[in-house]
Amino acid sequence: MRCKLFPTATLLWHIAVVGSLGASVSKAQGADLKFQVQLVWATDDSRPPTGKDYKPVEGGIKSQLRALKWKNYFEVKRIDFTLAAGSQKRVAISEKCELNVRDLSGSNVEVILFGRGKEVARVKQALPKGEILVPGGNAPNETAWLAIVKRVD
Amino acid sequence: MTEYQNQLKLQSHLDGELSEAEASEVVSLLARDPEAVALLAELRQTSEALVGFEDGIRLPESRDFFWSKIQREIEGQHSPAPERTSPVPWSARLRRLLMPATGFAVVALLALVVTRETGSGPAQSSVETSLADSGALVYHDFSARATFVWLAYPADDEFSEEDEGAGFE
Amino acid sequence: MTELDHSSAEDPALVRAAQSGEMAAFEELVARHRDKIYARAYSMMRNEEQALDLSQEAWVKGWQRLAQFQGESSFGTWMTRIVINLCLDQLRKHKRQRTESIEEMSEESGGVERQMPVVTPNPTAGLERGELRQRIDRALGQLSHEHRTVLVLHEFEELEYKEIAKVMGCSIGTVMSRLFYARRKMAGLLSDLKKENWK
Repeated sequence: MRCKLFPTATLLWHIAVVGSLGASVSKAQGADLKFQVQLVWATDDSRPPTGKDYKPVEGGIKSQLRALKWKNYFEVKRIDFTLAAGSQKRVAISEKCELNVRDLSGSNVEVILFGRGKEVARVKQALPKGEILVPGGNAPNETAWLAIVKRVD
Repeated sequence: MTEYQNQLKLQSHLDGELSEAEASEVVSLLARDPEAVALLAELRQTSEALVGFEDGIRLPESRDFFWSKIQREIEGQHSPAPERTSPVPWSARLRRLLMPATGFAVVALLALVVTRETGSGPAQSSVETSLADSGALVYHDFSARATFVWLAYPADDEFSEEDEGAGFE
Repeated sequence: MTELDHSSAEDPALVRAAQSGEMAAFEELVARHRDKIYARAYSMMRNEEQALDLSQEAWVKGWQRLAQFQGESSFGTWMTRIVINLCLDQLRKHKRQRTESIEEMSEESGGVERQMPVVTPNPTAGLERGELRQRIDRALGQLSHEHRTVLVLHEFEELEYKEIAKVMGCSIGTVMSRLFYARRKMAGLLSDLKKENWK
């Protein structure tokens, strides 16, 4: 029982708790952050284009895309990368499109979308594990492209 | 009939979109071409007929009813006060257990850990966007934990790596 | 600190109060601008139900993005841009479902707007405002989404060609052609409507 602890033992226990929490925080603050960007093709077609072996996106992601009206989502490309805390990385998701992901404080990130080298959109928001940020746009033949950004770890 | 480029220039003249030099060209055209004069008059009449059109349109719902729908939506989707539920039971328990100063330090450290690891913090309800593409939209599907930034320009074959067609810019 | 009298306060004061979380101030802003926002949605969508939904959605978005409003334009203009963007997005979604495209339509028409005889005299002259409004309403409903959008953005939102091009993601040349077509078609439709009235 807590109330039966001796004062000295209590103090030592406090120091141990704070010390171990401090260590875990410092580890968390300094730890690398793992991100993933998936380039996805949204279509009502049940199959990817002829000659392409795009795989359907996994069910969890598909469910998170439920606000969109396409029937099928195929993964065109997947990029995994690691960011040191507070750093940024620019990744090319296609020949014309790049994303710059920057770690801000907390679970916040800044994502800048570039189209042909020009900044198109900049979003700052919390992106904790489990949430996705999806820049996208319409593509020919009533399809769309999506760049799904998520924190993996 | 006045050639198409001149027709468009007449329209640009009406809309004040011509440079001074181009405007004088149009004035000369009008001086010699009665069809151009008639066309300009027609374009102007159409434009003038539309003035004030929207003033007569009224929202077909009462103030209270319309507002109640908006309010319900806002309260359902948006939580202005950041949710910091997870640290509270911990901090409360620890405060009771530990000495005040130590407890304070633990709360601060926990807040840091929770913000870093789960993202529950003020930023969850604060999204900052800056869109060079003014037709773009940002949509948050809170239930699906997804934020969509939908760009206005069609991204032709953006997903196709070998394609050389137009992309969004 | 004195409490803000919402009904007499100016928009900027209401915006500041709403930005600090006062929902009653936002309600007053909604009451003041709701007709204008709805009217814009209706002009673009031509459907009462959609216009209601989109104007409601615009207000919700307005609240969510209120912190971003810095007063560069009036609050009404800022809100109007939000509803326009929502309408454009909705129209793009519709376009995905439509078989005709603006390009196909232009091809089919063979540039008919260039060849149409000029409408004289003014078909709307002498009409009562209410009657004219009804006729314009019907005529606007007969334009394609693309042509109507250009017309609305130019005539009602008073955007310049280059601004319309940016919003719609097309060239200035396309804006000029669409606007020209829309105006000529409107003139023709208004003229036909008048003839109908004579029958």
